[in-house]
Amino acid sequence: MTIQSPKTHPDLVVPVRNLSEARANATYEALMWALARPGEIRSLPGSDPFALAETLVDRECRVFACDASLSERIAATGAYLTPAAEADHAFLALDTPDGLAALRDVPTGSHLYPDEGATVFAPADIGSGRGLRLSGPGIEGAVEIWIGGIPDEVWAIRSARCEYPIGFELFLIDGDRVLGLPRSATIEVL
Amino acid sequence: MSLSNLTRPWEAFSYGFLDASAKREMRRKMLKAIAVPGCQMPYASREVPIARGWGTGGLQVTLTLIKPSSSIKVIDQGADDGVNAASIRRFIARVSGAAETMDTLEASILQSRHRIPEEKLRDDQILVLQVPNPEPLRPVEPNMSAAREMHADADYSRLWLTLYEQIVRSGRIMQGAAYPALVNGRHVMTPSPIPRWDVPKLHMARHLTFLSAGREKRLFAVPPFTRVEPLVFSDVPYKVEDHASLTCDRSGVKGYFMNEIPKDDGTSAHELSDSQFGVKAIRRNEGETVAIGDTWYKNGTFTQ
Repeated sequence: MTIQSPKTHPDLVVPVRNLSEARANATYEALMWALARPGEIRSLPGSDPFALAETLVDRECRVFACDASLSERIAATGAYLTPAAEADHAFLALDTPDGLAALRDVPTGSHLYPDEGATVFAPADIGSGRGLRLSGPGIEGAVEIWIGGIPDEVWAIRSARCEYPIGFELFLIDGDRVLGLPRSATIEVL
Repeated sequence: MSLSNLTRPWEAFSYGFLDASAKREMRRKMLKAIAVPGCQMPYASREVPIARGWGTGGLQVTLTLIKPSSSIKVIDQGADDGVNAASIRRFIARVSGAAETMDTLEASILQSRHRIPEEKLRDDQILVLQVPNPEPLRPVEPNMSAAREMHADADYSRLWLTLYEQIVRSGRIMQGAAYPALVNGRHVMTPSPIPRWDVPKLHMARHLTFLSAGREKRLFAVPPFTRVEPLVFSDVPYKVEDHASLTCDRSGVKGYFMNEIPKDDGTSAHELSDSQFGVKAIRRNEGETVAIGDTWYKNGTFTQ
């Protein structure tokens, strides 16, 4: 069924997106589907980690970032820079001891307020390295993925701290590719 | 830090009506909603140019997701051409430049009030349900803080008691719409006032569902392949509305959810509740080539 499109309506202008809105919309779409279907690799519009912050974070947020220059850019959005234990969004380098320590600290919310669990972003190699079998919501049966560039300790920390419905969300970023691991996913290390 | 790098270039209006900070808040909460399926996430619920309680929650989710290449379908109680549905659809198209459609197969985002289309939704489709009351515990626990604790403890005994009382009083479960369902084995949600007929369509579905209540400022989600199990007793099976044997008066289609149309002589006729599905069936009957998608119900029986 065709309906008269507002684009052809003579009195109306066509809404135009600015660059940051278009980038944030595409970035969010990748993050959303990555989290809704754990194990499925989605494409981000670019490989700059600041685009992730631009999509989600503003002056209502508390952010921790391992990388000093990224911290500075995030601070310019108005977000508070805090220690990992108080951050609702964390940009971690999990191949460093500091990054692992931060992963042990990020908030996991409570049974009363599961939404207070943090959203964690970390670079990793997707498609090679340690084999993981995922199951849970968003996955038809089970799916196997391979993650490298981060120590196995990450999976031990995650399984100790993510006790559904409390926990944190982990997004692994490899260039412009993203993979989402919600707290609802069960991860079996192979 | 200077004023120039804190401000943005002037624009006549924000794309998709909502400003950037409203969208960021929606995005954060929608991610958490996906991560904990069925758990109600609070959000600020901004002003939109329709009255609260008329679809503002669904509208804010749609406006956050919308992009120029989106194709939007809006359903009001099964129909695309009701005043509320038509107005919301036209508003979304005007502020985003997205395409309007009535065809379930063409839509990328389907915003709906109280029905899920009869044709199966695909992996890439997003269903946005408008929710008047997001709290399944409200009839048994009006205190919001106490209800939150009951969710935290997974204490749903009073819901079971309500269902038991209905069976004792009436011999069957009387809950018609908004049948409470356990999501991912942990949180009980109300699936919004969709009929019992539609609840199984959420169980292990291929599409992503957001449920958003603008007046109540809460949203929750059902990701693909997530268990959505209506609360039932093991010896009293879940029953959908008895519409399997009804035939649509206008399209001749049988075995789907019907609206009852009272007649002057006291009898009633029935017509398909999913109006565009009926339109397509009529067109096909008239010899047009119309693509009709696979349906959840076949001959009145649900098939996964």
